[in-house]
Amino acid sequence: MKRSGEAKPVNVAVLMSLTGLAIALAMPALIGSNQHTMLLAITVLIYAALATAWNIIGGMAGQLDFAAGAYLGLGAFTAGTLLIRWNITPWLGMILGGLVAGGFAVLIGYPLFLFRVREVWYSIASVALVEVLRAAFLLWDEVGGPLERYLPFYSESLYQSFYTMRFRSYVPLYYITLAILVAALLANQRIGNSRLGYYLLALGQNEDAAEVLGVDARSCKLKALAAYAFLSGAVGVIYASLYGFISPAFFSMNLSTEVAILGIVGGMGITYGPLVAAVIMVSGREFLRANLSTQMETLYLVVYSLALILVVLFRPEGIATVFRDAYARVTSRFAGDQDVA
Amino acid sequence: MTLFMQSLLNGVLMGFVYALIALGLSIVFGVMNLSNFAHGEFVMLAMYSTFWVSVLGGVDAVATAVITFPLLFLFGALTYYVVLDRTLQGPFVTRLAVTVGLMTLFRAVAQLLWTPQARALPYSVIQGNLDIGGGLVIIQSRLISAAISMVAIFGVYLFLEKTWPGRAMRAASDDVEAASLMGVNYRRVYALAFGLGSAVTAIAGALLMTFQQVSPIVGLRFGLVSWAVMCLAGLGSIPSLLISGVLVGVTESVAMAFWDPKARSIVVYTIFILVLALKPRGLFGKK
Repeated sequence: MKRSGEAKPVNVAVLMSLTGLAIALAMPALIGSNQHTMLLAITVLIYAALATAWNIIGGMAGQLDFAAGAYLGLGAFTAGTLLIRWNITPWLGMILGGLVAGGFAVLIGYPLFLFRVREVWYSIASVALVEVLRAAFLLWDEVGGPLERYLPFYSESLYQSFYTMRFRSYVPLYYITLAILVAALLANQRIGNSRLGYYLLALGQNEDAAEVLGVDARSCKLKALAAYAFLSGAVGVIYASLYGFISPAFFSMNLSTEVAILGIVGGMGITYGPLVAAVIMVSGREFLRANLSTQMETLYLVVYSLALILVVLFRPEGIATVFRDAYARVTSRFAGDQDVA
Repeated sequence: MTLFMQSLLNGVLMGFVYALIALGLSIVFGVMNLSNFAHGEFVMLAMYSTFWVSVLGGVDAVATAVITFPLLFLFGALTYYVVLDRTLQGPFVTRLAVTVGLMTLFRAVAQLLWTPQARALPYSVIQGNLDIGGGLVIIQSRLISAAISMVAIFGVYLFLEKTWPGRAMRAASDDVEAASLMGVNYRRVYALAFGLGSAVTAIAGALLMTFQQVSPIVGLRFGLVSWAVMCLAGLGSIPSLLISGVLVGVTESVAMAFWDPKARSIVVYTIFILVLALKPRGLFGKK
């Protein structure tokens, strides 16, 4: 009796994940032809993927990173420029974009982590990074410049459409983004359960103590950073494809802050935390944006920041734990019944 | 050459104001060990306060500081008691995250209340140009801003050195437990420190409004600049803040004059990141 009671939670978790995946896969069919809702769904997925990737550096490695926009932009510009100039498919561009973003992250992160700089300086530096890249791409007329650079328009030819990742409907992009989100979730799981994950956990608790015990802080943090930046870069390509252009505005502080907020509010270190936060908060944001005037849509930022402050003050483990605790209470009740029977 | 000298001059003058802003930040950082991400937003709020007091009260920009200084002090202390006090016992990440929330909140509320449109004040008493020969011109408001910043910095220095609350703050920054044993109510000292750090921005904000515009997004720039100045200075003395402020101001000014106004961010923040990476204790600091 006890044994089956213990085994149950693990199986149910997998079952729930698969159910969630099934719903997500079926979503376009459920939404039907409502383009607006489709766009909302993709936006939710994009932020969910970004925030889940952020969890690796933020939740697991404990570094509050505000450079999501930097890596997103780098990925977008890499793939976008490759497509516009040399007609290289964004499928390849996604990988390359991710590598550029990841490489850049490691380049900056290496010296920052080298001297065991206090965490807050890393956060500040990440803010600065986004601004530097934005200004740099604004001035870099060859690749960037103040005007948007448009990606090729969607083509009637199915092959061409697929090649340039420019589709008439939102559905293909939805599935591609979903794939990246799943990749990010799996990355969270794999890293979380690996030795790297435990090292990161130890670092997060007490870096000095961990180092004394032989954890290589710098290398662990760099690996987490690289994974997060790579995934963010890949999302950047989707972002570009969605908007149909690349622009230095992609290096956005607002986006970076939102990603971090989603990661923190969702639950740092919890795999599904950022996803839960993204679903709730990004939907809310889009709802506000659609229904309020442009001036009042700033209200969503007020809501976001209040949510962050309230969660951090009163439920720092994140809102995902609300679901997790409720779930635990429900399953324990079942296990209890099992015992009695 | 004249362009270089002129931009150098502008940079030095701006640098003093930057040093003043950074002083507010470093007081909070030094005393409470709190990284206030929202500091730039306090500057923005100070600038808006100056704007509204000036427009509604018909007061000259510089004179508004008399009103905005205590106003911002109270606001800072209030923010501390309502929000930050709770986070003291928690992990570092929590405190950081709360200030990030405040930063976003202030920016969003400012945009809601006052629209994204940039606001500027009409001519202040200290406006005008001074021709100092050699083709160089000093904008009078910038000169006086620099002078007042210096005075304000000196004033804060005196406060920290000579008065009991100031010394209590320094004691708390050295060793908060020992200070508590000496009869220092550390929470009150923290509130005082945060209030002072915010109030200092009131002076800087008033000065800035004599030659700049304000809009909800200026906070990011002043926030990053004050962090850059603080990083360069290290957690050392006030003179090092002044020198660092001037360095940042000059670098920014020369970059804008010789490269491109938009290059401001690139040069200043790249130097900031470089200094952080290569010399994390700052150019002068003893951490």
